[in-house]
Amino acid sequence: MTVLLEIREKIKEIYSRIDAFLIPFVRFLLAFIVLRMINDRLGYMTRLDNTALVLIASLLCAVLPGSMILFLAAVFSLAHIYALSLEVAAVTFVLYLLVYLLYLRFAPKESLVVALTPVLFALHIPYVVPIVMGLVGTPASAVSVACGILVYFLLATVTGNATNIGGMDSDEAIAKFRLVIDSLMGNKQMLVLIVAFAVVTIVVCLIRRLSIEHAWTIAIIAGVVMNVMILLVGDLIYDAGFSFGSVILGSLLAVVVAKVLEFFRFCVDYSRTERVQFEDEEYYYYVKAVPKMMVPRSERTVKRINRSSNPEAEEYGRRSRMQEEEEEYYPEDDDVEVWEDDYEEEEYYEDEGNE
Amino acid sequence: MLNEKRVILMTRMAAYEAGEGRRNMATGRYFRGDYVALQLLKAFISATLSFALILAVYVYYNFETFMEGLYEINLMEFVRTQVGNYLRFTVVYIIIAYVVCSVKYAKARGGLRKYYNNLKKLSKLYQERE
Repeated sequence: MTVLLEIREKIKEIYSRIDAFLIPFVRFLLAFIVLRMINDRLGYMTRLDNTALVLIASLLCAVLPGSMILFLAAVFSLAHIYALSLEVAAVTFVLYLLVYLLYLRFAPKESLVVALTPVLFALHIPYVVPIVMGLVGTPASAVSVACGILVYFLLATVTGNATNIGGMDSDEAIAKFRLVIDSLMGNKQMLVLIVAFAVVTIVVCLIRRLSIEHAWTIAIIAGVVMNVMILLVGDLIYDAGFSFGSVILGSLLAVVVAKVLEFFRFCVDYSRTERVQFEDEEYYYYVKAVPKMMVPRSERTVKRINRSSNPEAEEYGRRSRMQEEEEEYYPEDDDVEVWEDDYEEEEYYEDEGNE
Repeated sequence: MLNEKRVILMTRMAAYEAGEGRRNMATGRYFRGDYVALQLLKAFISATLSFALILAVYVYYNFETFMEGLYEINLMEFVRTQVGNYLRFTVVYIIIAYVVCSVKYAKARGGLRKYYNNLKKLSKLYQERE
């Protein structure tokens, strides 16, 4: 365990040194995977199926805000579907527009979840999504997960019916339109998954926030069990056709991923190294502020309170305790206000030997 | 001579201004009523557009049925039903938007209050030096 903790500290240290380059690189990598997958799975527009173009688009995503990945993924998929059929592209466009107008307008930060959920479905590891989003997101992330599932099943419907759609004449426009909508709305597996993932995301998030010991572990286990139960019940009621071997395996993988995330959770909460510039009338300041490493309070103090037989001594003890508490709440050098999102609940970890 | 306390304070404020503070300042420029009204107007436009899109898909999906029963359909009844659906949809969406933007505004003001407090402290530190 000590070795693991040391590795974690080392990773945090490396991350704090290179995060300025690492974050754009991760964005580039994610964009590349998403766009490459769209080209591989859809690929109806041959002009877009070009690695140089994907690389340029991914580079753009590396330097632009995170929501750019979703925007470019939407453009790429729409272009491919347009090459297959105008009517199907219209359905896809309407769905994307509804997701943006009704939800992503409020939560642009969640756009990455909508882009990555279909990718994880395609990689056959979808059960990780609700657990991870419950752990790092908010209850509203359930909507992002649901939107991601909707997008995945729309694209899967298009690829599944591509031969039928391609074989239809241009005067069968309404038939194409109806084929896609009927296949999508009649997909029981999608509906069961949306309900299961939304419920699991909310439950995991609520349990994780409870102030109980091992809240993360309880949340992970409760989430996985609930996920399997809902899928089982959904399958029994709607005959949705889940393969329970893959559900169980996927859930176990979700537990492993979630435990790794739990181990690195301080890296997730980690406040970034800040590079800021400002000036006053005397100096120009170019400051690099590196956050201190934080660990949770692990020491416990046991306070013994004995009833004293001497009332004077009891009064003296009470007063000195009150004085101590006052000093604790109003330390003398507390004139610099600390941002609550930075260092609210953790203590600074400097050198335990000095304390 | 560099004043360490001042540099720490200015660094924290500059980091806030560059990140979360930029968004909060855009929100904090408005009075609460103005901000909420603007967001609700945007929500109304979004809801109207979304409903129009859903209705267009519904009509196109049932286009053949509509054309077959064009002379039998009670147009006024159809319009009345759709207007009812539109009102229900818009009202629910606007209520959700109201809750979301109220929470966002309260959070932004909370962050800005701390920022302005630190600004005062910074100005006091400069006055002390003089």
